[in-house]
Amino acid sequence: MVSLVRGANYAIMAASFCPSLPHHFKPTPIVKFPQSSFSFKVFSSQSSPADETPTRVGFLGLGIMGSPMAQNLIKAGCDVTVWNRTKSKCDPLIDLGAKYKPSPGEVAASCDVTFAMLADPESALIVACGEDGAARGMSPGKGYVDVSTVDGPTSKLINGQIKETGALFLEAPVSGSKKPAEDGQLIFLTAGDKSLYEKVAPYLDIMGKSRFYLGDVGNGAAMKLVVNMIMGSMMTSFAEGLLLGEKVGLDPSVVVEVISQGAISAPMFALKGPSMVQSKYPTAFPLKHQQKDMRLALGLAESVSQSTPMAAAANELYKVAKSHGLSDSDFSAVIEALKVKLKD
Amino acid sequence: MEEIGFLGMGIMGKAMAMNLLRHGFKVSVWNRTLSKCDELKEHGASVGESPAAVIKKCKYTIGMLSDPAAALSVVFDKDGILEEICSGKGYIDMSTVDAETSSKISEAVQKKGGSFLEGPVSGSKKPAEDGQLVILAAGEKGLYDEILPAFDVLGKKSFFLGEVGNGAKMKLVVNMIMGSMMNAFSEGLVLADKSGLSPKTLLDVLDLGAIANPMFKMKGPSMIQNNYSPAFPLKHQQKDMRLALALGDENAVSMPVAAAANEVFKKARSTGLGDLDFSAVYEIFKATEPST
Repeated sequence: MVSLVRGANYAIMAASFCPSLPHHFKPTPIVKFPQSSFSFKVFSSQSSPADETPTRVGFLGLGIMGSPMAQNLIKAGCDVTVWNRTKSKCDPLIDLGAKYKPSPGEVAASCDVTFAMLADPESALIVACGEDGAARGMSPGKGYVDVSTVDGPTSKLINGQIKETGALFLEAPVSGSKKPAEDGQLIFLTAGDKSLYEKVAPYLDIMGKSRFYLGDVGNGAAMKLVVNMIMGSMMTSFAEGLLLGEKVGLDPSVVVEVISQGAISAPMFALKGPSMVQSKYPTAFPLKHQQKDMRLALGLAESVSQSTPMAAAANELYKVAKSHGLSDSDFSAVIEALKVKLKD
Repeated sequence: MEEIGFLGMGIMGKAMAMNLLRHGFKVSVWNRTLSKCDELKEHGASVGESPAAVIKKCKYTIGMLSDPAAALSVVFDKDGILEEICSGKGYIDMSTVDAETSSKISEAVQKKGGSFLEGPVSGSKKPAEDGQLVILAAGEKGLYDEILPAFDVLGKKSFFLGEVGNGAKMKLVVNMIMGSMMNAFSEGLVLADKSGLSPKTLLDVLDLGAIANPMFKMKGPSMIQNNYSPAFPLKHQQKDMRLALALGDENAVSMPVAAAANEVFKKARSTGLGDLDFSAVYEIFKATEPST
């Protein structure tokens, strides 16, 4: 892959001075900021020229998703600095060569581009804008890429705080759970600063199999919520079918097989069906997060005055499953919500 | 192989009978509206004037009717199957009906000495034309083994699921999931559009991930162009939802999402979308205007 620019800065900074911005980096910087001279080098399996200064990549949040994503960056040769609320989660990454800083702000300050992968809007907001948050370490020339799944308003709030520091912002929630994260097969649904998108594209390509740029901040969040809303409803329908099949005397494994042969054959069904049939729900995507996404999707629908009976019905089942203590199980555990049991 | 009778020249029956003819089977057809048999006749099929006449001529007869009422009618009405079915003959009902209807037909056929197999299919018009149906058979294993050469032409995979009723139930379970999925899909497309996203981009994103499936891929593009030419009429999909819910009712199985989906299909039928493809349910999510 090609080295993009030498000694360039984020020309977007010029936005406050001149309205017309280049959309790509030019070899000669337009406005020079002393502390922002650096070059971008795209890391890949091909070796990099020794004289290039590598981009320093920060990674905040090392949960189910963040950990494998950061690992893929490290394995690809990137210079990675990590932070996680529970420090011990950083250890495997540090063993692989990552650096560590004790707060999001310090990570951001020591890096050129910082990724964040948090579990929900509340955490995303705290990590970005809280005390010692990433925004503290942001400055012109830097970029913040939030790959958490949040609602539009939260994303816009984070965008505002980051942009205020002079840095760039990209929302970039992903489609794909644990295994795609491990395999570098995620789908990025990005929106925000186009130039930051172009800059981090090589990193997205390490962590993922495809990426979309969807325009203004909020569009990436919305797309992610729509996708997960459909997925959440599909999972509950599948669960209903498996349970009905079982109750009327069919072999649920055969139900899964029949589905895999027809028009509604989906990877999710083939993957989760067999374990659901055995009442096993190994966590790839925690049920509490799926329910969070349903709730946010319902909020989005409400904000545009759209009736969503399917998502509403599905959401109820996720809520019931949560009340049965299944928050940390895989979201396929929602099938348990259909099996009614009386309290002892 | 022996000559095969075929009752019901609708969207599915016509495509399936044509497929058998193309593969060298001798076929005798019947349809309530006889003119629907003309094209088959041109391709070499003989035409029977009643279900009984077809049964009389053929060792094996397949029925492909639109709903339980039609399926019962070709069996029990005057000039129906029962008048000519006897030992040595088999009736294979590939209609999608409830388990009770299937059992009723099975019992009546067997009482006359005939063999019975239910064989509802998963797949609509195009898979029927291409011989890519998934056949969910149940009933007499012997008849299943004998009719398999025809099944292998009609479909890409056949299942033998045991006793009569199991095929019907399997079909209803699958179509229930499908109907709910079409609703969820429509709901998502509308939300994307209302949120300022491109529905086409949503289709692209869905096609890359864990919930990609042939139905979304096939129907999505025509839906966003408001094209609902019927491969599977909405009224039949709603019929299947209704039968699946009834099955759930009988067995006290909780199915809130399917119930929600059924409501939307009902609404669609009440606004006159029944004869369009079931993907026309999208129209209901798009715009529900208050009545003035």
